[in-house]
Amino acid sequence: MNQDCPREHPTGAEPESQTPVPSPCNSVCRMAPDGAYCVGCFRTLDEIAGWAGFDDARRRLVWRQLRQRKAQAGQSGGEQRC
Amino acid sequence: MLSQLAPAAEAPSGALPPGMHVLERGWLSSNSVLFEEGDRLTVVDTGYVLHARQTAALIDRVGRGRPLARIINTHLHSDHVGGNARLARSGAVSIQIPAGGADAVRRWDVERLGYRATAQRCPRFGFDRLLRAGDMLRLGAGCWQVLAAAGHDPDMLMLYEADRRILISADALWEHGFGAIFPEIEGEPGFVEQRRSLDLIARLGPSLVIPGHGPPFRDAGAAVRRAYQRLDALQSSPERNARHVLKVLVKFWLLQVGQATVARLIEHFRQARYAHSVHQRYFANLTFGQMLEQTVEQLCAAGATVMEGPKVRSVDGAGTD
Repeated sequence: MNQDCPREHPTGAEPESQTPVPSPCNSVCRMAPDGAYCVGCFRTLDEIAGWAGFDDARRRLVWRQLRQRKAQAGQSGGEQRC
Repeated sequence: MLSQLAPAAEAPSGALPPGMHVLERGWLSSNSVLFEEGDRLTVVDTGYVLHARQTAALIDRVGRGRPLARIINTHLHSDHVGGNARLARSGAVSIQIPAGGADAVRRWDVERLGYRATAQRCPRFGFDRLLRAGDMLRLGAGCWQVLAAAGHDPDMLMLYEADRRILISADALWEHGFGAIFPEIEGEPGFVEQRRSLDLIARLGPSLVIPGHGPPFRDAGAAVRRAYQRLDALQSSPERNARHVLKVLVKFWLLQVGQATVARLIEHFRQARYAHSVHQRYFANLTFGQMLEQTVEQLCAAGATVMEGPKVRSVDGAGTD
């Protein structure tokens, strides 16, 4: 149990511009009601399950996509973290 | 962009044997490792209870709907076994736990299991088999050796596949650090055991480490060196270890609730035996509330939490240091 965790998003740098690319997980870990993506990090099940095996290029692509999903969910009043 | 000049980084877990999958989670849930075994599945560790539905969905997705046959737990902390009850509900699942936890699980002794000590939640589960250091387990296509890894927890186990030199290190070694040494705050040994666990990992020299939290990594030597340095620092200042334990417990709770007033936080931790142990042993000059107020200040200074009016809020992706 219990983290001694490194800071995953050092201040001032976009996560996807870092190497290695940090995980988008923010410990919400709950899928949206339709199962499309996690309401915490906006990744799909495949993107969460595959993350550890993705190279940095793929991880950067996921970061870009989840930002779009987050923006769309915000516009349509989608579920946000409290 | 500078990052484009860097060589393409192959993900360490790209070297996993076929049918083995690392489900990397965050800090509230442990990572899970999934093995395909013909038409069945085995999973090592199951995350925290609040995430159990997602854990089950991930296993179902990656396992392409095959039934789960076995759950193996490296240790019994709530962030490694919280999905056990839900996953075992789905059918005939054999739960296999470290032998040292047998009696506590049989009686569901939340005191000994540490769920009361930490004021963390964990749904009850049973077990079907006990694991001991020296056991060999067939997981997927590989033969895995069960190894003792005390320190963070006296009964913790790791799993090692010697042919490919892959180590499932639980909370004995992460890329940057290791799990908090809880036993020491109540006067039980932990530092010496953690050093022994690091010695064992150094001797094995794994080519790939799958930690209990954080990404899999290849450079075990560098991670072990960092871990020794950190252990030296903690061992030379047990008070620092105690402060660290408080920070870990508070951050873990805030990850669950998102935010809370400091007063509510203090109220919550009145249920946590570890918080009282730390108070009595190390910070008896302060009130219980003052001690936790200091913990919150330290977390805020580290960027792990932020104050918003009377409330303290967890900062995404930021750890306790």
